[in-house]
Amino acid sequence: MSHPPDRPEILDSDHLSTRTREILTSRLSVSTAQPRTLSLRAYAILDALLPVLLPLDEILPDSTDIAMTVRIDAALSGPRDGWRFADLPPDAEAWESALLTLDDVAAEQHGLAFIHLAPDLRGALLDAVMDGQIGLEHDGRLTASQMKRWSGDLRGEVVDCIMSDPRIQQALGISSSLTGGDTVFQGFTNVGPDSRESFEPKATAPLLQMADSSE
Amino acid sequence: MSNSPLMKTFAETDIVDALIIGSGAGGAPLAAELARNGKSVVVLEAGPAFPATGHTPDEVAARELYWLHERLSAGTNPQAFGGNNSGTGLGGSMLHYGAFMPRMDARDFHLHTETGKGVDWPFGLDELLPYIERVESFIGVSGPAHYPWDPERRYAYPPPPANSAALKMREGCDALGLRHADGPAALITRDIEQPHFGTRHACANCGACHQGCRNGAKSGTDNTWLPMAVAYGAELRPGCFAHTIERDSSGRVTGVVYRQNGVEHRQKCASLVLAAGAVETPRLLLTNGLANNSGQVGQNYMTHVSTQVWGEFDEDIRPNRGYPSLTITEDMMRPKDADFVGGYLVQSLGMMPATWGQNLARSTTTRGPAFARALAGYNRSAGMGINGECLPRPENRVTLSDEKDAFGIPKPLIEHSYGPNEWAMHHHAARLLTQMWEAVGAKDIRVIDRAAHMIGTCRMGTDADSNVVNPVGRSFDIDNLWISDHSIFPSAAAANPALAIMALSLRTAEAMLKV
Ligand SMILES: Cc1cc2nc3c(=O)[nH]c(=O)nc-3n(C[C@H](O)[C@H](O)[C@H](O)COP(=O)(O)OP(=O)(O)OC[C@H]3O[C@@H](n4cnc5c(N)ncnc54)[C@H](O)[C@@H]3O)c2cc1C
Ligand code: SF4
Repeated sequence: MSHPPDRPEILDSDHLSTRTREILTSRLSVSTAQPRTLSLRAYAILDALLPVLLPLDEILPDSTDIAMTVRIDAALSGPRDGWRFADLPPDAEAWESALLTLDDVAAEQHGLAFIHLAPDLRGALLDAVMDGQIGLEHDGRLTASQMKRWSGDLRGEVVDCIMSDPRIQQALGISSSLTGGDTVFQGFTNVGPDSRESFEPKATAPLLQMADSSE
Repeated sequence: MSNSPLMKTFAETDIVDALIIGSGAGGAPLAAELARNGKSVVVLEAGPAFPATGHTPDEVAARELYWLHERLSAGTNPQAFGGNNSGTGLGGSMLHYGAFMPRMDARDFHLHTETGKGVDWPFGLDELLPYIERVESFIGVSGPAHYPWDPERRYAYPPPPANSAALKMREGCDALGLRHADGPAALITRDIEQPHFGTRHACANCGACHQGCRNGAKSGTDNTWLPMAVAYGAELRPGCFAHTIERDSSGRVTGVVYRQNGVEHRQKCASLVLAAGAVETPRLLLTNGLANNSGQVGQNYMTHVSTQVWGEFDEDIRPNRGYPSLTITEDMMRPKDADFVGGYLVQSLGMMPATWGQNLARSTTTRGPAFARALAGYNRSAGMGINGECLPRPENRVTLSDEKDAFGIPKPLIEHSYGPNEWAMHHHAARLLTQMWEAVGAKDIRVIDRAAHMIGTCRMGTDADSNVVNPVGRSFDIDNLWISDHSIFPSAAAANPALAIMALSLRTAEAMLKV
């Protein structure tokens, strides 16, 4: 079984434009100094929440940390996507309030801060949020219906972070960044089923090994 | 293009014949047509001029093509904007549109006469057809040699190759006895010299149409109408956000105040054309308190019912490859077993990974290893999606919210809720598309309930009491104010909209030339 190296091979493909290579490469190294958007408390809650929402151990080798929490926190202060649900406050505020709501509910229900809960209890709380069962009715916190809406934003943000990461693209065998180089815009010659071109990555994720070996 | 040393420029004190706000499907054809007929034209575009070679398939970075001034979404089906429903830059939303280019069905012009629901257009397909054909031939549209639902129709370019999703949808149609064809796609499949622009290359099947086409294959306004406008003396001004419409004592428009690089400018004009799209056009009219004697500005906001159904296959599908949405069936334009009025088009769907993952993430609540496995199924996934009629409803509208944006202007609030007709169509399509995928062995079939496109809000019609503009796009209240964009559609119709918007734009230009 081969694992993606620290620098995914797709970054060295001549089917990648210089601009796209720079964008993807910038995601490999992120500064982990201080949270940019969230308070330290909310940041720690997000950090404890992400692994129960989307564990990556079956996709990436254990040693690979793609710094999801840092990147999501930073993305919340960057350009957003141009809209939000009218019943949620602006994104940065919504995320802070949602994460603190989760913490307060953890304390109420289990007498422990969210970050100290066992993973299955964290997961159960997240399930209840997605079901619209958890919320608080005071200032600086979100109601159950707001929490449910926010959980969609949370899921979407996590997916943006994952699917745009070159290590994940390499591990899942995704060739979407390889549309063409600067001087030659190759595109794809083969576009039908079971016709991977030689420059396209093969999946290396452990959970795809079985499937891929049949190729 | 905008920096071209050859581009004519106007002084702000010049009274230009036509000042156009927005350079997308509605603004650009009209700019070209007026300029070609000797009118002085300035186009104000809020977004930048993007060089095509700089587009990137990276979905996060490609957000630069979206309208990023925040919109507030409400109602029981709050609509996602950003990537799904907005665009900015010289070229408008067509910089990252999907280039699926069906013609409007003749029946959709007369939905009210046919069914007693919805509204009729003030004219029929025969009126719009000559303009549609002009648009198709000028921008370049590919399609099949024989179009099953309109045997007379001809396309100038053969279709691009069918990708995995397109092939799978063909099988699904065959299994259920539906007709299918390669759909009309606004892209070229051989290199050409585009008049006033230069070389456009054949489609390379890169699959990144929604992130901007890097080789000029996709027919946008940036590589067709806008260079033509410039060649005939129009000035394009990117990076100019228009906010204030000025008038004289008789109420006629005299000019527009806009902000460029933080500085306010004023351009004088003899006539003003709003082509800012179905959210920003009503927002401009509402913030300026204009052209609303009918009370209809911002009303009857519509979308398309855009249900998607995805499935996983045993083969390596690689949904990022090839033109994303080639196969079409028009057999559902008036299904016999319909419990709704109007109809829908079905198209195959490939998709880039983050967009696909977003759909998956927002339409399910799986988490943990199951969520990781679902995302890892990307390379085995193919989709189909619909575009269907959405009836105008009073509760769906664009109004001004209490929140202000960075310019101090109220953010738009868009309320959008499906009514019984939209839900019935959604369920019909969800059933049919699921059956099609089941018939060809797809697993983990997932229905995504979503709406797309921004339609209505400045309705066109014959009666000044219930419409904002007349049948050629002229304001009933202010005779030198025109609207040319998606906001004037009286009904949504099923077809993807860009073709009809461009055709109407040429028609409005013609009317302006007669004034
Ligand atoms: C992701 C996506 C895929 C699509 N796929 C298809 C498809 O396959 N087929 C199809 O037919 N249609 C498709 N569409 C829809 C189509 O692109 C739009 O319907 C069409 O472009 C709308 O034309 P418009 O002129 O109304 O607005 P736009 O094309 O959006 O142009 C409006 C322009 O006005 C500018 N503007 C707005 N406000 C101001 C202001 N105050 N000052 C200055 N400038 C301003 C904006 O920046 C923008 O450039 C798609 C749209 C999207 C977003
Ligand atoms: S698939 Fe073709 S039309 Fe679409 S972006 Fe790629 S080259 Fe352009």
